[in-house]
Amino acid sequence: MGLISGIFFGVIFGVVLMAGWSRMMRHRTSKRVSKAVDMKLLGSLSRDDLKKICGDNFPEWISFPAFEQVKWLNKLLSKMWPYVAEAATMVIRESVEPLLEEYRPAAITSLKFSKLTLGNVAPKIEGIRVQSLKEGQITMDIDLRWGGNPNIILGVTALVASIPIQLKDLQVFTVVRVIFQLAEEIPCISAVVVALLAEPEPRIDYTLKAVGGSLTAIPGLSDMIDDTVNSIVKDMLQWPHRIVVPIGGIPVDTSELELKPQGKLTVTVARASNLKNKELIGKSDPYAVIFIRPVFKYKTNTIENNLNPVWDQTFELIAEDKETQFLTVEVYDKDVGQDERLGLVKLPLSGLESEATRDIELNLLASLDTLKVKDKKDRGSITLKVHYHEFNKEEQLEALEEEKRILEERKKLKEAGVIGSTMDAVGMVGSGIGAGVGLVGTGLNSGVGMVGSGLGAVGSGLSKAGKFMGRTITGHSSKRSNGSSSSTPVNSVQDNGGAKPLKQQE
Amino acid sequence: MGFFSTILGFCGFGVGISLGLVIGYLLFIYVQPSDVKDPEIRPLAEQDPNAMQRMLPEIPLWVKNPDFDRVDWLNRFIEYMWPFLDKAICKTAKNIAKPIIEEQIPKYKIDSVEFETLTLGSLPPTFQGMKVYITEEKELIMEPCIKWAANPNVTVAVRAYGLKATVQVVDLQVFAEPRITLKPLVPSFPCFANIFVSLMEKPHVDFGLKLGGADLMSIPGLYRFVQELIKDQVANMYLWPKTLVVPILDPAKAHRRPIGILHVKVVRAIGLRKKDLLGASDPYVKIKLSDDKVPSKKTTVKHKNLNPEWGEEFKFSVRDPQTQVLEFNVYDWEQVGKHDKMGMNVLPLKDLTPEEPKTFKLDLCKTLTPSQEGEAAQTEKSRGQLEVELLYKPFSEDEMPKGFGETQTVQKAPEGTPASGGLLVVIVHEAQDVEGKHHTNPYVRIFFRGEEKRTKQVKKNRDPRWGEEFTFMLEEPPVRDKMHVEVLSTSTRIGLLHPKESLGYVEIQMADVVSNKRINDKFHLIDSKNGKIQLELEWRTAP
Repeated sequence: MGLISGIFFGVIFGVVLMAGWSRMMRHRTSKRVSKAVDMKLLGSLSRDDLKKICGDNFPEWISFPAFEQVKWLNKLLSKMWPYVAEAATMVIRESVEPLLEEYRPAAITSLKFSKLTLGNVAPKIEGIRVQSLKEGQITMDIDLRWGGNPNIILGVTALVASIPIQLKDLQVFTVVRVIFQLAEEIPCISAVVVALLAEPEPRIDYTLKAVGGSLTAIPGLSDMIDDTVNSIVKDMLQWPHRIVVPIGGIPVDTSELELKPQGKLTVTVARASNLKNKELIGKSDPYAVIFIRPVFKYKTNTIENNLNPVWDQTFELIAEDKETQFLTVEVYDKDVGQDERLGLVKLPLSGLESEATRDIELNLLASLDTLKVKDKKDRGSITLKVHYHEFNKEEQLEALEEEKRILEERKKLKEAGVIGSTMDAVGMVGSGIGAGVGLVGTGLNSGVGMVGSGLGAVGSGLSKAGKFMGRTITGHSSKRSNGSSSSTPVNSVQDNGGAKPLKQQE
Repeated sequence: MGFFSTILGFCGFGVGISLGLVIGYLLFIYVQPSDVKDPEIRPLAEQDPNAMQRMLPEIPLWVKNPDFDRVDWLNRFIEYMWPFLDKAICKTAKNIAKPIIEEQIPKYKIDSVEFETLTLGSLPPTFQGMKVYITEEKELIMEPCIKWAANPNVTVAVRAYGLKATVQVVDLQVFAEPRITLKPLVPSFPCFANIFVSLMEKPHVDFGLKLGGADLMSIPGLYRFVQELIKDQVANMYLWPKTLVVPILDPAKAHRRPIGILHVKVVRAIGLRKKDLLGASDPYVKIKLSDDKVPSKKTTVKHKNLNPEWGEEFKFSVRDPQTQVLEFNVYDWEQVGKHDKMGMNVLPLKDLTPEEPKTFKLDLCKTLTPSQEGEAAQTEKSRGQLEVELLYKPFSEDEMPKGFGETQTVQKAPEGTPASGGLLVVIVHEAQDVEGKHHTNPYVRIFFRGEEKRTKQVKKNRDPRWGEEFTFMLEEPPVRDKMHVEVLSTSTRIGLLHPKESLGYVEIQMADVVSNKRINDKFHLIDSKNGKIQLELEWRTAP
């Protein structure tokens, strides 16, 4: 009897004990899980959430901008800046100097830093935004502002003289996009892509000042430097152009991230109508220049004495990023000396359908900057026939090779001194006059190039004389759209640095 | 009889308990699934008031305290990265554990130990605020508040004697407030030499440990005991002021301090080419070490001599013998006008063996560019030869100039200081918001015991940075003295009305410096609106 009741109570006691334990387990698990949930929720609060939690005692110092403020990062940065500046100086010297050499205009024989210190004002990070636009990638946009006081002196050697030029009052406003490619190995990031966002457009302002001399010693120099800076920024850094940095340790295929030819745009420049007459005697002699990237410019024949020219010439252009790139069409009046621009227009590629031919008539504008356009006068229109073809893999490779070959060739020509700069527009094969015009910068070597730039400088000098006193000339490098009033399109001044897009993977 | 039945009853109770435990285990615990489910997370807007109440103590610090910054962007970054990070960490952990397990298994007669599941779960750590402190020292201090309430599932299966036992870790929660100090700051990337990590408070650790499905941590009392144990262990190791040091850079190297001395003897030149129209050239040699801020050194000019003998010696301090290059330029001295270049050549320091004198005979070339060099050799006449003797002596370990970290502890005064006296070191770091009425080209003058020292002038800058060091050798501690530090500005143009003006001054009691050994602080300037000056004063006594 005792045994049975003992067993009975024992079993009950055991079962109850276990039941209690399991209850305890469940209780603790649910407690931990609910805490984890709370943590998760509180980890990313929005304004409404916070309002609900805090009720009337909403803390006034909290706001939720799209770009999150990072005061602590700025504090760290300004404390660290003297050290960062010193470390960066060396890196900049090493990496930017070859770039300057690559992109330098024809009339300048050497462009080097003779002094470079970054000053004692640290850049400010206005905000950071993190998003994941694509699986396995993190996109981080950093709103960067730097109104620094760096001391940068460029040693510029032109044909005759060598003068140090100081870059003063540098101001950089830009949004840097950093894309992290994720990987399943420590350190989890296989490659980093850096670019400046095109929208809002990066702004780099500075003042040029000749040290112990006058900027006018070399005509057109400030324009040349502006354009060099401009094309480095536009053709190297500005989205969709980018710098891909593979992070060591993980062998990874970064070709996905790099900018590649994506499609071919076949453009037939059919005709223009009602162009403006810019000449005193007779009518304008118009020709058109089309390009997607300023490195690859194409030019039509010049049709003399005609305000309704018909060209009917076909060009093939390569598009790298259909979503963000534009086709730019400029119409010029061929003139003795500086060619005058009759108008330009930009066509966003994003609107084009693949494998469909479209006739498009576009009204020419005086300038792309809508703030600057004063007159509403009709500048005529241009008719294009556009066909977009998306590349498949093989065609893509082929186009890449072709691009490489063209740039190599130009580089060789540059070395041989035939063309002053890698960015001279090369007329289409067969468009004889186009090539002829190109010859201003081509066949005649730098001596004539100087004449061209000299003339350019007269024009730019006149337009700028009113604005700038003494020897100080301000450059709004990126704000100036390609070929604003002061530069000629294809020859001399505007033809600055040769771009080498394929060398971007540094 | 009663006694017997009691005995039997107890025995029965014993048997019954074990039976009951087994039944209970099978009934309540064994049937429970051992996998970890992702917790269901509903948006905050749908939470009921009770849940809100529960959440209140966990409100992030950035909501409560204005001095904490929100780091949602970092949280989002980690969140996106977490799946990858999770896999990477687990893979690494497995790879590290494998050899250790294989080594240990034979000792304990265990058949195998393996991870059945290993994942850190879907919930990433979150930063609930970030605070930074700025001090006058060369360091950065940040305090993130890290909360990681995870849902990991780590199951280790142990097989021995044909039986299998599983140990499972679930619901790991770690809340910690570490202080991360980056110091010292150095002028080469990534700009700091060491990371110091320490915990400001004991961390909160909670987890479930399941042995065959039963959570040991829910045995009353055990959890608290284990938690305290872990807290104390961690606290013993890393609770402030104890730190974990992660070295990143060697500070000596980061500073690019000299690591050796190069002795250069310019012996002679042979067969230089004539450059002057009348008579022979007047050659001299300029020597420069690349990446060196020191101006190049020159030999004397040997007049009217195409085979000059110099025999002059020079010393250079070497920072990096692997990359630095010595450059020789032979010039023709002219009384009037530009000195003509007669030829040049370079010598990479990596060609030298330390402590071994070596003689080089360098052919002089026109320029350095290799392409033109080739042509030059063919087309041009020889420009002559330069004979030099080089000796590279690296510093021995104890000769090395003291590294950077030592500034923390006060350095000793050099030998030869009087026993009761010492060395007073003043470092003028920077000033802020100094402003002159007419011009702001500030420099600092220090008056101390009749001695006057001054820094360089910084042009047109309201926040100048000097970083200059001055020393005063003293016979006895300057207990009663004051130091007068004045910021002045002089006009850059001559002959104006306002040649010089004071931007403010400050007087410092030396007694404070002597008693503290070292003071590094910002002082408000007198006679200045908002001006401040950062001075570091140090009193070094004889050892």
